[in-house]
Amino acid sequence: MKKKASPPENRLSSGVSGLDEVLHGGLIPGRAYLVRGGPGAGKTTLGLHFLAAGAAAGENVLFITLGEPVEQVRRNAERLGFDLTAIHFLDLTPSSEFFTEVESYDIFSPAEVERVPLTEKIVQAVETHQPRRVFLDAMTQFRYLASDPYQFRQQVLSFLRFLTDRGAAILFTSESSPEAPDDDLQFMADGIIHLNYAPEGRTLNVTKMRGSGFIPGNHNFTLGASGMTVYPRLIPEAVHRPFSADQISSGVPELDELLGGGIERGTITLLSGPSGAGKTTLGMQFMKEAAGRGERSVVYTFEEEVEIILRRCDAVNIPARAMLEKGTLDIVKVEPLQYTPGEFAQLVRRDVEQKGTRLVMLDSVSGYKLSLRGQNLTAELHAVSKYLQNMGVVVLLVSEVSEITGDFRPTDENISYLGDNIVFLRYLEINGQLRKAIGVLKKRLSNFERTLREIEITRYGIKVGEPLSNLRGILSGTPEWVKPENDHG
Amino acid sequence: MVEIPVRPAILTLDRNPRNLELLGQFLQRAGYQVFPAASLTDFCRALNETPAPRLALLDVSGFNAEIWAACEDLNRRAIPFLVILPCANADLQQAGLAHGARSVLLKPLAGRELLNLIRALL
Repeated sequence: MKKKASPPENRLSSGVSGLDEVLHGGLIPGRAYLVRGGPGAGKTTLGLHFLAAGAAAGENVLFITLGEPVEQVRRNAERLGFDLTAIHFLDLTPSSEFFTEVESYDIFSPAEVERVPLTEKIVQAVETHQPRRVFLDAMTQFRYLASDPYQFRQQVLSFLRFLTDRGAAILFTSESSPEAPDDDLQFMADGIIHLNYAPEGRTLNVTKMRGSGFIPGNHNFTLGASGMTVYPRLIPEAVHRPFSADQISSGVPELDELLGGGIERGTITLLSGPSGAGKTTLGMQFMKEAAGRGERSVVYTFEEEVEIILRRCDAVNIPARAMLEKGTLDIVKVEPLQYTPGEFAQLVRRDVEQKGTRLVMLDSVSGYKLSLRGQNLTAELHAVSKYLQNMGVVVLLVSEVSEITGDFRPTDENISYLGDNIVFLRYLEINGQLRKAIGVLKKRLSNFERTLREIEITRYGIKVGEPLSNLRGILSGTPEWVKPENDHG
Repeated sequence: MVEIPVRPAILTLDRNPRNLELLGQFLQRAGYQVFPAASLTDFCRALNETPAPRLALLDVSGFNAEIWAACEDLNRRAIPFLVILPCANADLQQAGLAHGARSVLLKPLAGRELLNLIRALL
């Protein structure tokens, strides 16, 4: 059902949920991977996941720390629920006695004095434990033990060779700053994972993976109570589910006529209109009909509370509560700033791929953009919609326009290109009365009526009238009646 | 009878005990006998008691002008010596050479270069 390469053999799981998917299956043994990121970016957490996954699989794993003392690493790891019993530690951090007891020297450089004992310790630990996974935190510490950049490069390369020749997969971190960039390490690594921190949320991206593909771009990730979770970016082309593009009915015959039969599966429909025109109700109408066929729908509401939507459905004869009980409907309230786009996409994927959802409504587009933390939200919305489209889901995007009347605009969001279908609701002033009309502006897969129809939302449900063919200037909001010419006779 | 090669004796002077220790370890690894001194008094004693010292290394950090007297002493005994300076200082460099140092070295020392220099002097 999903087009995804099965993980090639002998890949090592990174231990982080979602990261293996980004890395097309995991890390390759005998390779060295660089994890970059500022302070607090999650480098050590990623390393702990990597080692814990190996330990759980019965592999020998080794944690070499040059910065953070082992006790501190242990405390933090236990707080995140890692089982460290099977992880070997090599602590190369200076003890507190270094400060008080060991006299400083200046006759030789630290590179000459410290390197040999340090190397001996590492070689000894590797020979003893024969690790299959090594996490080294942080490689940049070795820079201070090298007399010049050339020496550093040679030392790191030979060190990595020493480990990879023994078949180990290495994850090493770097601390980079403008004063001491780590470009050299990036050239030496077989793969690079960047951990970025931005106020909108944490992201991860891969820029290099020798011998493997990876999902490009920024993936959201979180550092939570149980460690790191990666939300792979949705690549709509990468997932596909065969489906028949049959039309689904709204359950209102006049509305279906207007739509040339209904809306097709695997299309994106923009429901646009001013506030209070009935966009959400219109979407719910399609879901009511889908529930009758036993299909499941989900509404993601970014603005209204679930109870309000339910009450409004009660008032217009849409049995939303019963649908909720039967499981043919789910209404998910997305709180402001609760999710990054990646997390939200993951939520949608679960609803579609695990729960078999066939209709998805996002209420509304502007709410989506306001509620999610991130940049380029239009592109993210595009990705989610295209993904749903590929999965054969009927996508309903609710888009509010601010003008009640006046010159016609399909949406305020510049997303009309995204819609395969654009259905708009409009207020009309006819003979001093405020009335509502519904029309179709665009429909990619079928013909549709070019005239508007009057729409009323009553306690019996949505009522759509006959085509308003005798009105002129409808798009201006203040139409006039025109007498049919053949009436003159 | 095979003659056992005698390891050349080197006198070292440094105020900083850690420096003295590291320098000693380094020279011993390279195959020399080391006679360390942390003060001028110790150095004079070592100079008198050591059988046939071949070379002396003097780190001037932390000493006053009295160290030049030790240099003159070494000159009189025709023992070559190297002066080690904490930083580039033209006056000290000049003074070291004027008092007979074969060369003036700056800290931190590069191990390989130091060995090459010692071999050239012995």
